Amino acid sequence: MSTTSLEAILEGRRSQPQELIEVLQDVQELFGYIPQESMISVSRELGVPLIEVYRVASFYKAFSLEPRGKHVITVCLGTACHVRGAARLVDQVTGQLEVEPGGTTSDGLFTVECVNCLGACALGPVLVLDGVYHDHMSPRKLSRLIEAVRSAEEEVAVRAEA
Amino acid sequence: MLQQVTLSIDGAQVEAVRGTSVLDVAVEYGICIPHLCHIPSLSDFGGCRLCVVELIENSRSKVTTSCTLLVQDDMVVRTNTEKIRKLRRNIAELLVAQAPNSRAIQDIAVRCGVSQVRYPFRNESCVLCGRCVRLCTELWSARAIGFVGRGKDRHVDFPFGVRPDVCKQCQACVQHCPMTITPCDGPMEPGEERLCGKCEAQLLIAESAPDSCIWCELGVGFGCARHAS
Repeated sequence: MSTTSLEAILEGRRSQPQELIEVLQDVQELFGYIPQESMISVSRELGVPLIEVYRVASFYKAFSLEPRGKHVITVCLGTACHVRGAARLVDQVTGQLEVEPGGTTSDGLFTVECVNCLGACALGPVLVLDGVYHDHMSPRKLSRLIEAVRSAEEEVAVRAEA
Repeated sequence: MLQQVTLSIDGAQVEAVRGTSVLDVAVEYGICIPHLCHIPSLSDFGGCRLCVVELIENSRSKVTTSCTLLVQDDMVVRTNTEKIRKLRRNIAELLVAQAPNSRAIQDIAVRCGVSQVRYPFRNESCVLCGRCVRLCTELWSARAIGFVGRGKDRHVDFPFGVRPDVCKQCQACVQHCPMTITPCDGPMEPGEERLCGKCEAQLLIAESAPDSCIWCELGVGFGCARHAS
């Protein structure tokens, strides 16, 4: 399945080195991270040296070289969010999920990231869960949010078993 | 036909071929601009910042790296003003704090007049001069190594940290690395780093003539372009 999808991403872009970042973005979206094997395929198919692919992939923060959790929580630590208590959100999320920023929970459900600014300072403290912005967060709201995601996941798992 | 341009470096009118860098021209004319990341015949990217000069345009001066500054007609460049000497000394001081275990960098620090290091020694084994990367990419077209990561995590590495087949183990990267020659007294252990300053005796002439090349022995250590050509 994954090979065919990678094929689809590369379709029409072969031997076009200028497409490197777009291809890597699509790979990131497909797998949630950029696996080594896809970097090797991308290098071969686009005609970009492997070191160049690795350099670009390791440079941008938007690309992850490690597998990521199913849900990604991005906590903003920008100045505006910081003064409104973003540090308490980090404490809450690291405590509740028992994972350090940048890490993934052992069940592979959550990845926690910290960024320096999300550009939504008026909404601070702000965090992003799977691309959805949650504004004016408090540790309590965050805790409920995580629980909601977790119970939804459990429901899916129960249904799959049934 | 090669186009000639005339420019002024430190008040001297010099002729140069269009397309060469100010650093190359200055070195050719015997004007000393200390440099580390520059290797003749490779592209320059202004990595080490040691070769800073003042470019005077419309009676305003701009500080820029001379290795990436291409010569133009009626250009006025000053390589040895008080401002430049101060900047250069500080850059050399930072370099020697980052990597004291390199004779090349210790030599450059002496040449740039560093007499004390005010920054904590890091004792790193790389100053990201990129000599190895550009040699591998441009001269050998092997592209086996490159810069990985960014900011404080930037380093030189193989793809995924594993030596690829395209690496022919030619060792050119090692030969041109400024870190491969240790200071004369041997490598310094963490905690005992210092400014070596051993070569000061060689530099009695250099002090009286900081702006001109004196064919200093130091150049041999770090591969000064004057010695390479």
